[in-house]
Amino acid sequence: MRASLILPLLALLAACDAAPKASFADASITLPDDPIDLPEGPGRDAVLANCTACHSPSTLLQQPKVSREKWEEIAGKMIKVYKAPVDPAAIPDIAGYMVHVQAQPEARQ
Amino acid sequence: MNEARLTRRALIAGAGTAALAAPLLAQQAGRMIDLALPGGPSLRPTTPAFPGKGEMIVQRIRPPLLEAPMEVFREGVITPNDRHFVRWNWDMPTSITAAEHRVAIGGAVTKAVSLTLDEVAAAGEHFSVVAVNQCAGNGRGLSTPRVTGTQWGNGAMACAKWTGVRLRDVLAKAGVAEGAKRVRYAGLDVPLTDGAPQFIKSLPMDIAMRDDVLVAWAMNDEPLPILHGFPLRIVVPGWFSTYWVKMLSTIEVLTGEDESYYVAKSYRMPAQPITPADKDFDTVPIEAMPPRAFITSHADGAAVAKGKPLVLEGMAFGGDAALERVDLVGAGWSIPCSLGPDEHGPYAFRRWQVELPSVSGDLTQIGVRATNVKGAVQPETLAWNPSGYARNVIERITLRAQ
Repeated sequence: MRASLILPLLALLAACDAAPKASFADASITLPDDPIDLPEGPGRDAVLANCTACHSPSTLLQQPKVSREKWEEIAGKMIKVYKAPVDPAAIPDIAGYMVHVQAQPEARQ
Repeated sequence: MNEARLTRRALIAGAGTAALAAPLLAQQAGRMIDLALPGGPSLRPTTPAFPGKGEMIVQRIRPPLLEAPMEVFREGVITPNDRHFVRWNWDMPTSITAAEHRVAIGGAVTKAVSLTLDEVAAAGEHFSVVAVNQCAGNGRGLSTPRVTGTQWGNGAMACAKWTGVRLRDVLAKAGVAEGAKRVRYAGLDVPLTDGAPQFIKSLPMDIAMRDDVLVAWAMNDEPLPILHGFPLRIVVPGWFSTYWVKMLSTIEVLTGEDESYYVAKSYRMPAQPITPADKDFDTVPIEAMPPRAFITSHADGAAVAKGKPLVLEGMAFGGDAALERVDLVGAGWSIPCSLGPDEHGPYAFRRWQVELPSVSGDLTQIGVRATNVKGAVQPETLAWNPSGYARNVIERITLRAQ
């Protein structure tokens, strides 16, 4: 009686000891949309045309305050390093918009 | 208007249309969290709207950058999968058919191969390691002066149990050729502009062949979620997350240095300490993590009872070596903390605790300082660098006695 109980238990333990078999099922997810729009301001069109294809508005609006020159440098880096289709003529407007929105008080909710 | 932009726009528009049924972030937005980033903007929304995730701080929606609120670290040493930070450099696929996924191994190998997932899983003994996964830029948003990039607070870190096979066993399926110097690998996340650098990383051969460097498919005994790199990711215990490439699809053995962008140009630190005014300096790649410690029982500005004993608690990790000690430090004093049990080995989070017999007044700018067994100690001042990498300055808070 007792032996018949112990044997299945041992078999179970042995099964647990072996490395669990890796099994791979298909996976799929749906990501949320980015609902945050860019606030009005001079240069907004240049940012929409050149930046938001790759950068969420949420990310743009969370950057720390840096100088106009730094924003121009960053936009230039996007062209040079990341081959982004940014119009070089739009860079002053892009930098101007970033400086403008960063001068606004932070929205409190 | 050039074609790359049109392509990208078309993709965005397509994604938007296909995602009509996607949860609307605005409708499910949680509370706002103040990350105390000096000079702001500092408020971030939280949301539970990402698949498989609990309440997370939204740093970016696409590709996702999700940070864990610090309360996640208040208890235990294993971070639940639904609170593990998420970081993607480029857009990744949101659907993967397991039977079609391959890991191609080439470069300086005896025989180039393309492995199915089952072949990867059969490449060697299955092995688990508990290790801290931390973004190289964790805490970047706290830099002073501020630097651009993802403005993380300190929640781009987590500790999990990773299970897979050793990278060296997977490499053996192709056979490493003579003269191999580095192992480079990439995942399925690719840039959408032509000519932009793909997110590929490489390890020196001695690290790649380590006993505990894995091609992992499980995270805390669950299959890797897509947001964490399904079906396979590299795990390098003790090294920053940038090397833990997700959705692993290609491996290449190199016989020379790696000149690719994310190794040779990006994810690099000044070789020597610099000041924000310095422009030209030598750099070294970000690799091993330094030790860090956090007070998790109390937030900055919290009230504590005057005249009463006070217990402070938190967690710490040693980085690329086991944690040796944690000390509570203030202006000119330090008190050793007691460490919780070493449950999961040298690369895991560990709890610490210290009891002060009586609170006599405000505890101004106190912090905890971790030291690892290699002798690395958290510094008093920030090793400022222009990309905000590898932050491990002692984090300070002030507690008000009432």
